[in-house]
Amino acid sequence: MNCKELAYMLADYFDGSMDPRLREELDAHLAMCEPCMVFTKTYQAVSDKTRLLRRHIEYEIPPEVRKRLEKFVHAAALKYPEKIREYRDQVERDRRGKIADLVSAAAAGRLSSAIALLMESHCAACPECGEYFDSLRKTGTPPSVDPPDGIRAHVITLMQTLPPGEEFFLA
Amino acid sequence: MSAERWKEDEALLESLRKGAPGAVDELLRLYQGKIFNLAMSILKNESDAEEAAQDVFMTVIRKVETFQGNSAFYSWIYRICVNTCLMRLRGKRRNETVSIEEFMPVFTDEGMHASPMDDWSKEVERDALNEELGRMIRKYTEELSEKYRVVFVLSDVEGLSNEETAKILGLSVPAIKSRLHRARLYLREQLSRYLLEGKAG
Ligand SMILES: [Zn+2]
Ligand SMILES: [Zn+2]
Repeated sequence: MNCKELAYMLADYFDGSMDPRLREELDAHLAMCEPCMVFTKTYQAVSDKTRLLRRHIEYEIPPEVRKRLEKFVHAAALKYPEKIREYRDQVERDRRGKIADLVSAAAAGRLSSAIALLMESHCAACPECGEYFDSLRKTGTPPSVDPPDGIRAHVITLMQTLPPGEEFFLA
Repeated sequence: MSAERWKEDEALLESLRKGAPGAVDELLRLYQGKIFNLAMSILKNESDAEEAAQDVFMTVIRKVETFQGNSAFYSWIYRICVNTCLMRLRGKRRNETVSIEEFMPVFTDEGMHASPMDDWSKEVERDALNEELGRMIRKYTEELSEKYRVVFVLSDVEGLSNEETAKILGLSVPAIKSRLHRARLYLREQLSRYLLEGKAG
């Protein structure tokens, strides 16, 4: 190993990734070469000092920049949940519309065979839903397209269990 | 990265996702200084760094819900910062920095040191020199082109591992090591000249 090779291996030497045999060779060179010893010591001093003096090297954020940034980030953070809420509200409105359609279709006997089957087996097992949809069918038209919460939850589950590609309603 | 820091990051991520009150304050407390510093060391201009920091926090707030957590939170936010800053630099004409080649060590044809070496490693251990040295290291760091500067700042100033820096910059570990090494060689040379001149003058 000559001085030039040594100089280019110093990063490996200090981060511990050097092959042990090379390290031995490097140490042997250092022991007998004054310029390399000095070079190595000053090289190491650069990174040691840099870490030690971070506080002096880093840029301090000026108070007025800090204030502006804080204001900006808070405003941005406030706006963001608003957007999320808008989006969720939209999803909720869409779902209500679908439930309303489904309830009307059930009352009018216009459900697709797949959902009618699911509905039938659920109503057989769930007295609450059974009674609600029975009365809907008897009166013909739904008194309200917004079913009670318990039933609503069951209908949502039903809608979610419908296999992909199956239609809700008869054409 | 300390275990405590990991825990702080985990808690911050959790409260940001939940939109908990105080989450944004915590984000600012932990990262405002770091992000501004990193942006400054890449952009070297206060108003650019401020705008970049705004963009970074905006991105973090927008994307925190979809952040996968495959990498550490700090590494994600640093990465956003680096990308944001590099995008800004791309639009600008880069002010050319000094050629790093002129400051690499010189060797004879036989690969021996071409000039005698001055050992200042003991000298810089004096605490009285710290402020001045810190200022000089910052000045020389600013002279590096951004390619070397970013690596030097993340690795030697911020103390991240080569692997972490590689992940943040999307480069290989050998590429990081080679840039870091050259940055240190440049700083070593500049500091030597500075300290020698000081002695002569
Ligand atoms: Zn040598
Ligand atoms: Zn039911």
